[in-house]
Amino acid sequence: MTEQRTNWIGRILFWLVIIVIAIYLLFPFYWAINSSLKSEAQLQMTPGTYLPRNPADGSIDLFFRNYTAVFQNQRFITGLKNSVIVAVSTTALSLLIGSFGAFALGKLRFRGKQPSLYLILSMTMFPQVAVLTGLYAVIRTLNLDAIPSMILSYLLFTLPFTTWVMTSFFEGLPTELMQSAQVDGATPFQTFYKILLPLTMPALVTTGLLAFINAWNEYLFALTFTTIEPNARTVPVAIALFTGQVSFQEPFGEIMAAAIVVTIPLLLLVLIFQQRIVAGLTAGAVKG
Amino acid sequence: MSAEAVPSPVEERRPQKRKTSDLARSEERLAYLLLFPTLLVIFLIAFYPLGSVFYNSLTDRTFASAREPQFIGLANYANLLSITIKELPPEIDEETGEIVRDPDTGEIDYVSPVSVLPREPRRYRELTTFGLGGTRYVIGASDVNFVRAIWDTVAFTVVTVALELVLGLGIALVVNSEFKGRGLMRVVMLVPWAIPTAVSSRMWEWMFRDTRAGFFNIVFQDLGLGNGQIPFLVDKAWQLPAMITIDVWKTTPFMALLLLAGLQLISHDLYEAADVDGAGRLRQFWSITLPLLRPTIAVALVFRTLDAIRVFDVFQIVLQQKRYSMATYAYYELIDGQRMGYSSAASVVIFFVIFVFAVLYIRMLGVRND
Repeated sequence: MTEQRTNWIGRILFWLVIIVIAIYLLFPFYWAINSSLKSEAQLQMTPGTYLPRNPADGSIDLFFRNYTAVFQNQRFITGLKNSVIVAVSTTALSLLIGSFGAFALGKLRFRGKQPSLYLILSMTMFPQVAVLTGLYAVIRTLNLDAIPSMILSYLLFTLPFTTWVMTSFFEGLPTELMQSAQVDGATPFQTFYKILLPLTMPALVTTGLLAFINAWNEYLFALTFTTIEPNARTVPVAIALFTGQVSFQEPFGEIMAAAIVVTIPLLLLVLIFQQRIVAGLTAGAVKG
Repeated sequence: MSAEAVPSPVEERRPQKRKTSDLARSEERLAYLLLFPTLLVIFLIAFYPLGSVFYNSLTDRTFASAREPQFIGLANYANLLSITIKELPPEIDEETGEIVRDPDTGEIDYVSPVSVLPREPRRYRELTTFGLGGTRYVIGASDVNFVRAIWDTVAFTVVTVALELVLGLGIALVVNSEFKGRGLMRVVMLVPWAIPTAVSSRMWEWMFRDTRAGFFNIVFQDLGLGNGQIPFLVDKAWQLPAMITIDVWKTTPFMALLLLAGLQLISHDLYEAADVDGAGRLRQFWSITLPLLRPTIAVALVFRTLDAIRVFDVFQIVLQQKRYSMATYAYYELIDGQRMGYSSAASVVIFFVIFVFAVLYIRMLGVRND
């Protein structure tokens, strides 16, 4: 009887902890949604309300104009477009280049393989800020536009990771596949793109997703390279530098609306590909 | 030989009759060919710029001027990192020759730090003062902002990573148990991770607002703390705690997911055996979970520490130039100051701090690198 009771209390405590964790992780997002649905007057109410309320009578009063304002904000729309271009191109390039390299590292025998593997692994932890001035100088000297600059420089963090994860995936594919294809007269490269590459689809999706999300969220390079080219700003930069069309004060309602708008696609990706993303995040890190 | 197999130009038509060494050689050639783009990109965007950063850090190169950059040796580093400690003598009244005391509190007045700090070869400014054994000292630095940025960044790193480890481990342990809605919980855990840091920084900036429209001021006042007007992002004492709060929220899920993956590698049999032996939950945690999780913890700590040292987004967006991390300092020197040589030297310092932390970890935790 007592055992049952402690069990019961334990379950309640357990769920309480789960709920506390969920609230902790989601609350800032909720507060942003809440604020994005408030007018300027509602935002200035003190104390701030946990739901958008009418300042006069306290009834719930949702305000949607922040969202329409965001979609009429030309800088924000341009930012979305730039972000899509940059993130998609970076992802495609790192998958293409990375899967070539990973096939070589995972399935072919050649001298200098170990050093190359170490190089790639150490590059996955390379601090971006260390090359900031150097890259900036390269780009200013070459007179490269901001968008290609971002695509190229984002490979710094997407390519080593992609190559590393793909390499271990290639290693895991049975060597007999390659051998039997070679007996059939296929060249190693044909074996690669006709037989092995289709099999690596799950790894391509995982690494591609992570490359995309990381490129979409990148801020340091984007901010630096678009200093002299405001039209090339990506969404994170646009949101960080968000100013209203007229008002002098920072339009936090609109900023929060913009924040929700850019986060929703990411949340959808997370919802759909949850398991792949977790697998990718922990790949390499947790392998004993 | 199958009919559709098209021999590549570099290979003979009948591979099965070729000597092994030929085959090996062509395989090697292909490997180099396939690896070449990756290595080229790494050279172009990592090694070459890194080399130029190291080189530029020894010059006084700037962007704006057409003047040829001069090689100035380690002068940038000397300027960035020079600190000095001087004793601060009490102020002496010129007429009486006595020590001046504050008329209200009776405490000793000290001379202004500027008067004791050296001006040659470089001018030192006051970083902080402290008392030790009845004597007052002043710490001066030639670049107060950067030295403070190093200190702040290291403090930020140590505290955030420690908090993340504790919170992340807690969350991982809870989510590791079987319960309905575990999949949903993992989605929830990915939310802070997936939100762009630029976006989450602005969300939190709004929550830290200095009026009771800001969430934290509401809560603090409800708890009877403060007057509802705490300027979290302006007040020097609150700035770092605010940054730490934001970053812990943003990155704990990543830590928790890594640890969760590590926990799932631990066999259930071990716990069952421990149950049979009558070991309690806490005992099981200390004797089974923690030792077996050590490699994962080590990797997670390395990842997060190296990441925290180069923190940029949240400092740049929320604090701008009110207070610097090492990375935001390097950024502002480059973009606002156009001082490329000086900014490069700051970057090199970041690189070395990261390097030192990496080596320390590998020593301490014995991360195997095989």
